[in-house]
Amino acid sequence: MSYNYIELISLILLAIGCFFILSGSLGLIKLPDVFSRIHAAGLIDTLGSGFIVLALIVYSGFSLLSLKLLLIPLFLIFTSPVTGHAIALFAHESGYKPKGKNKK
Amino acid sequence: MAKLNKDSLKTLSFITYFIILFVFWFILSGYLKSLLLFFGLVSVLFVFWMSYRAKALEEDSLPLKIILRLPFYWIWLFKEIFKSGITTTALIWNGKYSPQLISVKASQKNRTGIANYANAITLTPGTVTIEVDKKTFLVHALSKKLSEDLQTDDMNKVITDLDK
Repeated sequence: MSYNYIELISLILLAIGCFFILSGSLGLIKLPDVFSRIHAAGLIDTLGSGFIVLALIVYSGFSLLSLKLLLIPLFLIFTSPVTGHAIALFAHESGYKPKGKNKK
Repeated sequence: MAKLNKDSLKTLSFITYFIILFVFWFILSGYLKSLLLFFGLVSVLFVFWMSYRAKALEEDSLPLKIILRLPFYWIWLFKEIFKSGITTTALIWNGKYSPQLISVKASQKNRTGIANYANAITLTPGTVTIEVDKKTFLVHALSKKLSEDLQTDDMNKVITDLDK
């Protein structure tokens, strides 16, 4: 049985990306208030999508397609903080107070 | 490009913007036929004209000086995102988060720099810029360690140096 190393590497990267998306989704449910949940969503936006795009680039080989794939995280870098900031600002302006230390 | 007067700097930034637009068109299409390249040129010219009309080509929005430093900055930013992403993931799994609000001072000179810094804070998982008040940010951090990382001012310095 012969391993294809490129497939193996992209598989590992995909697994890492999936792990970050899982953690982000868990955080969305688990964390206490709006502001904390934005952090979890940001985790999915940056690291989750980043690692999955990286895995796809490795898998597809280096061509024009990988340049196109690189544009996805580039646009996410510009758009995802804007949405996070918009949600946070609106929650702040409408009077939500962030919860302090959690006591379980 | 040390000593250029304002007009030639403006022309240079126009040319750079045009080249960026055309490279973007080429990456998205991938065609090499001359007819299709001509159509691409036409559409790029149309977008260029529209952004000129919308006054989107002011100096502040096309920071020509930082364009060569941007790739290095993005690599550095990705490293920061990865580091604080690991911290945030650990916080989510072990549940030892203690959310807090802090205020952070920004030392960037122009509006682009300040927006850049605010975006970088939001982009690193675990910290979100809530409000921008001239030169002070209200930042929500997920734990004490993340807020202390921010208060060491490293990120502020890197982004201020970007615009030198």
